[in-house]
Amino acid sequence: MADVGQAAFRNAAPRAVDGASSGGFRFSTREAIKHAVLILGALIVLLPFYVMVSYSFKAPHEIMQNTGGFFGAQELFRDDFCIKLGNAEEDCMVRPLNYNYTTAFEKAPLIRYLANGVIVTVSIFLIQVLVALPCAYALAKLRFWGREAVFGLVLFCLLIPVHAIALPLYIMLAQLGLTNSYAALIIPWTISVFGIFLMRQFFMTVPDDLIDAARMDGMSEYSIVWNVMLPTAIPALLAFGIFSVVAHWNDYFWPRIVITGNRDLFTPPLGLREFKGDADGDNFGPMMATACIIVTPLIVAFLLAQRRFIEGITLSGMK
Amino acid sequence: MASRAHLWFVAPALILMVLILLLPIALAGALSFTDYSLGNSGASFVGTENYERIFTRSTYEKMFIATFRYVGVVVPLSVGLGLGAALLIHSLTRFGALYKTIYFLPVMAALIAMAIVWEFALHPTIGIVNATLERGCGTFLEAWPWYAKGCDRTFPLWLTDRDYAIWTVAFIGVWQAFGFNMVLYLAGLTSIPRALYHAAEMDGATSGWDRFRLVTWPMLGPTTVFVVTISIIRSFQVFDTVEAFYPQGGGPSKSVYVMMFAIYEKAIQQNLMGIGAAITMIFLVFVMVLTLIQRWLVERRTHYG
Repeated sequence: MADVGQAAFRNAAPRAVDGASSGGFRFSTREAIKHAVLILGALIVLLPFYVMVSYSFKAPHEIMQNTGGFFGAQELFRDDFCIKLGNAEEDCMVRPLNYNYTTAFEKAPLIRYLANGVIVTVSIFLIQVLVALPCAYALAKLRFWGREAVFGLVLFCLLIPVHAIALPLYIMLAQLGLTNSYAALIIPWTISVFGIFLMRQFFMTVPDDLIDAARMDGMSEYSIVWNVMLPTAIPALLAFGIFSVVAHWNDYFWPRIVITGNRDLFTPPLGLREFKGDADGDNFGPMMATACIIVTPLIVAFLLAQRRFIEGITLSGMK
Repeated sequence: MASRAHLWFVAPALILMVLILLLPIALAGALSFTDYSLGNSGASFVGTENYERIFTRSTYEKMFIATFRYVGVVVPLSVGLGLGAALLIHSLTRFGALYKTIYFLPVMAALIAMAIVWEFALHPTIGIVNATLERGCGTFLEAWPWYAKGCDRTFPLWLTDRDYAIWTVAFIGVWQAFGFNMVLYLAGLTSIPRALYHAAEMDGATSGWDRFRLVTWPMLGPTTVFVVTISIIRSFQVFDTVEAFYPQGGGPSKSVYVMMFAIYEKAIQQNLMGIGAAITMIFLVFVMVLTLIQRWLVERRTHYG
């Protein structure tokens, strides 16, 4: 569409006149309208983020009365829970910002939840690579009986969204006595047919000479996979890693099903949901602080490495 | 010499595919004809009773209505807005990257967290949405009857009024999804060769609309097929927002009783595995048929395109 503007300019059509030039900066009504529309959209998109961050700063009465602007007045207020514990009133005066964020960590084992989130997402990714990479290599570069059938199966399995078969998976895990365990959180995701497909497509582009040379040097097939193919696949793996980590850090449905009651195994989304369940007026601030803490790692990582993230998340678009 | 290696390479993936992806489908298929529940030693065969129930009882009619309403709103709007945003951003001379970043933020954020925040924002008394709307009272906006009515009495209880609930949940779905579609469309737009626009211009396509109709839209065809399919599949799977807003019952008069929530409620909460399995099977059929249609469309295109 950049061409469209240029073309209009070149044709010297009358409508290009509204782009009056003034010292390098070209103001045009068209451009201004576009910005107006996009800014309106941006405000709606950012609204909940604004609410989330703002409420995590505010005192309970400011939240209830919708006062205090973005940051809140940050005046000391009385923490009733602290008084209930039998402390003197002057020891119980707290700043809203401190109160919200310390309560977020104290009221629930948030550190534990975050650690669980890391354990689960990292294990899922590592196992996915461990399973998918050799299989992708075999499908791309080895000739063996049944290869086409295996690849056909991969293509078929791409049709199945794992969330859709959550119920039978849950029944199987329950029969094995595996619900409420890390295993339950990880097992259904250990096989990523999408990962196999993606890596296979990537390995198809690796020249056979590279592999032949490695075989000539006496390398075993195993070390070819991990020492030759893996290094060439780093960019694709990185994108796949982002795809996988974002999906599983944010996943709520599956943990909700297999983790029932055992708080030690809660992932961050479950911890936040639990918080909501017993939230009263005083807890809205801490709850929003928890939401901020859970959402921030991925948002920060995204802002730092946008291109990679967008590549990774839209990977599924490459099918 | 590579004669055995492939077995070790393929076997783990193959076994996991069968155990984790294929076996559950077979299991769901089998259980959907029984009255199985966890903890019971056996289950008896009930024929197609579960399916008959799903297609005759009003609860499940509500389930289909809610699901199709949600999909019917989220898919066209998130695809349309994604395309619109991509076209606008692509045509900008500056700040395009900034809008792209902002619009992509909801895709990154955990939906369950954002659902809880939206619930606050839409809260009838302390929520920022209705508070902002009230500020518009007494201005020209009151010329709009709906707005005047809101000022007169109160603005809607977005999440608890059964006339609004499903649409509000769908709005949040659009809010969350359109940035993803935008990014795919932006990638599609950058890959359109500029020469095509020049050629179209030679042929007399001078207006922006002509260029869009003759070059941009057809060239974005494969992207659109993909974006529409993935949007449908994802919106069929909506769960997080519904569970966050309505942990019990699926919203006012079950108006937001979507399929994934129905599976969760029937099977996990009420231990009615047979009926849950039957919904699972219907769900799978929808999703797989859609994906097959997409593949067929893409392949047809690559043959003739």
